[in-house]
Amino acid sequence: MPPRIPTKSSASSASALVRSSFASPCTSQCLPSCRAGFSTTPSRERSTNLRRAFLQWTRTIGANYRQPKPEGGPNYISNARSSALQPFPLNAQFRSSRVLDEQARELIWEKVMRQGETLKAVSAELGVDLTRVAAVVRLKEVEKDWISKGKKLATPYSKAVLSMLPTKSFRPGVQNQPLEPINELHIHTATQKQLFWPTAESRQFTREDAAKAFHAKMLSADKRVPHPELIQMEKNLLRGMSPDDARARFINAAEQSERKAAEKQMKKAMAEEQATKKVNTKRFEFRFKEVDSELVGKDGRAPNVVGWKYGMPHYDRKKGLVKIPTSVP
Amino acid sequence: MPRAAQRRLHVLRRPKLRQSWSKYNLYNIWRQRDPKIGFTDHETFFQQKWRAKGLLRAYHGEHIKERDWERMFSRRLLSVANMNPRYMAENDGSEMAAGRGSGRDIVSKWKQDTVEPKTITPYMNMAFAPMERRLDIAIFRAMFASSARQARHFVVHGKVKVNGKVMHYPAYKLNPGDMFQVDPDSVMFATGQPKKKGGSSARQAITNPQDNAEAEPAAEEAEGAEAEAAEATEASEMPEQDPETTDKPEAPKADMKPTRQAIQKLTKQAKSILARDRDVSTSQKQNLRSFLKRAKPLLSKAGRSTATPTDILDELNSMVKELNLSDAPAETAAAAAAAETPSTPEQAVAAAARQEPPRSIEDLNADELKALQRLIKEEEENPADPTKPYHTPWKPRDYMSPFAFVPQYLEVNQNVCSAVYLRHPVARVGSAEVPTPFGYQINQLAFNWYLRRR
Repeated sequence: MPPRIPTKSSASSASALVRSSFASPCTSQCLPSCRAGFSTTPSRERSTNLRRAFLQWTRTIGANYRQPKPEGGPNYISNARSSALQPFPLNAQFRSSRVLDEQARELIWEKVMRQGETLKAVSAELGVDLTRVAAVVRLKEVEKDWISKGKKLATPYSKAVLSMLPTKSFRPGVQNQPLEPINELHIHTATQKQLFWPTAESRQFTREDAAKAFHAKMLSADKRVPHPELIQMEKNLLRGMSPDDARARFINAAEQSERKAAEKQMKKAMAEEQATKKVNTKRFEFRFKEVDSELVGKDGRAPNVVGWKYGMPHYDRKKGLVKIPTSVP
Repeated sequence: MPRAAQRRLHVLRRPKLRQSWSKYNLYNIWRQRDPKIGFTDHETFFQQKWRAKGLLRAYHGEHIKERDWERMFSRRLLSVANMNPRYMAENDGSEMAAGRGSGRDIVSKWKQDTVEPKTITPYMNMAFAPMERRLDIAIFRAMFASSARQARHFVVHGKVKVNGKVMHYPAYKLNPGDMFQVDPDSVMFATGQPKKKGGSSARQAITNPQDNAEAEPAAEEAEGAEAEAAEATEASEMPEQDPETTDKPEAPKADMKPTRQAIQKLTKQAKSILARDRDVSTSQKQNLRSFLKRAKPLLSKAGRSTATPTDILDELNSMVKELNLSDAPAETAAAAAAAETPSTPEQAVAAAARQEPPRSIEDLNADELKALQRLIKEEEENPADPTKPYHTPWKPRDYMSPFAFVPQYLEVNQNVCSAVYLRHPVARVGSAEVPTPFGYQINQLAFNWYLRRR
């Protein structure tokens, strides 16, 4: 075997090794010359057919999706059979729904907070779901609070996102197309069973009777919908009342129902307040409530009873049990 | 999640669809063809269900353990029926008693060539509806994060509030009416374009104080002015806020960020000096170590809400003086001086005046003035800010628009990066609210898989 003469590259790397053992770590980095091989062409990056196809896609079809459409609006991937508002080409039953734009949100806030209109009236007028109207006002209040505190809004983000979504705006003072159906009835589980309910043929079997047949305590569909006042308004119109009168009555009824709900809530809070005795100390506010120790259920293990019960395991601090809160008040 | 962490989320070979805005995911969704499960009889029913469930579980909460999802799963599928008030006013329900008990029969038109198929209520597409209640997935659906995993990261790191309180459980199940807020900076980081590698990144700003010293004071001055303006407005009119809609009013918070950065910078430099051991004497090393020891509590103190920048700066200055290093700490002192500048707004205003050459506004015509005003407004809204972890001025990230949709059960206000979970997702005639990449059959098979009692 011939003696091995160290090549230039291995010699320099050896010297680098020697140096690194003495020098401080910052100077021990490998010199550029030490990685010089025999070839000057850089090695080709690893590439597969799949990757090449992907890169080809990014240059051709994928290029349409890189940036949002310059004219705004949704830019979903589409195939021959999918519609324009379908984000997933294989799922025709999920369509992207329109969202309220800035001006529509401002209009709703204006109507509720400035003009003092009821949520139900605004919902019925604009065709926006009742809970959505409440949420828009709540979020708008947060926004106004941020502005008054000088907190910076995420305006560029908001503009960009709203330009990518299908949006809905309203014109004030005109009849607008609704955003979504507002009078939707939740399908109650008790109504999903099939009943055999013999009745006389001559009997007028109404929705009221149907509800009673399903469950003794169930309310009829007329009372369970979000806008029972709208049904009354339509009845008034059918009876020949003038549209203005019917509208005024509807608004009045909506006010009444909202006031009733507010009073009920107030009453509950007041009762809670009266039942608790508050003792303020330096650090804590202690709240005491009267508890009847007899109300522990048949076996003394009723789940919502306070205190520790003899023979009843207390899982509050047990390992491995879920302690994620179920609600945030 | 060691299993998922080892595996790559987006692959081109045997792809899985994910809850993510990645371009690979977009490509995979684009090229996904209908898997056609159950169209032929070469698979048993068990195999069909297994494959369908695998396809869907890869998308719906792939970071959630199967056991957890099985607990979450509910066989009760929610739906709604649209009740037309006009119809309800005209009919009291007794019209349904006609015919065979479900209303008068619709006469079939036998002579027509084609019969329109009845539109179904796609209940089966609601199979993964309970998943949409999870906080991390709701954040992803509200477009506040670019993937469900990133949303989870935000929650765990305390960037998310539910009803005004920090919630650090990604598995928290939202209740109807819950409002969740995500830190706007995190949202803009998640949805914005990344910083360019060659540009001034945050890391570079830390390592190179000389470059940073010029850029930073201006930005900090702007922040200071903003805070002052906010104080003034608060003093003039205390906004009456509903405690339900907003957080409780916070005390005007002094901006501690510059001070904290200064302390961090100093400690870092001290550490680097200690590492370069040859040119530092033993006594100097001792001094430096004691400095490092005392800088730690000071840093945490700066993070507290009660701290004021001036107090912290005084203490820091005295510490630097005590350090008494003759040759090594030249940069340390310079950094301390740089940290002092933002405390006086007048100096920074003067500096800004020096930077900008005087221009006369009279030369501009009306159009140019308008354009200038618009430009100024745009600049104010979307400023170039090297301290941010994302590319500034902010731009939406690439391949974002095909993923942009907000499901109906959420109401989102993008300005404050907050959303309200209105209700649980529902199915209605012709559509289901759960965003799922596959159609009815696949969902049905997956639903049947989870119906099984095991």
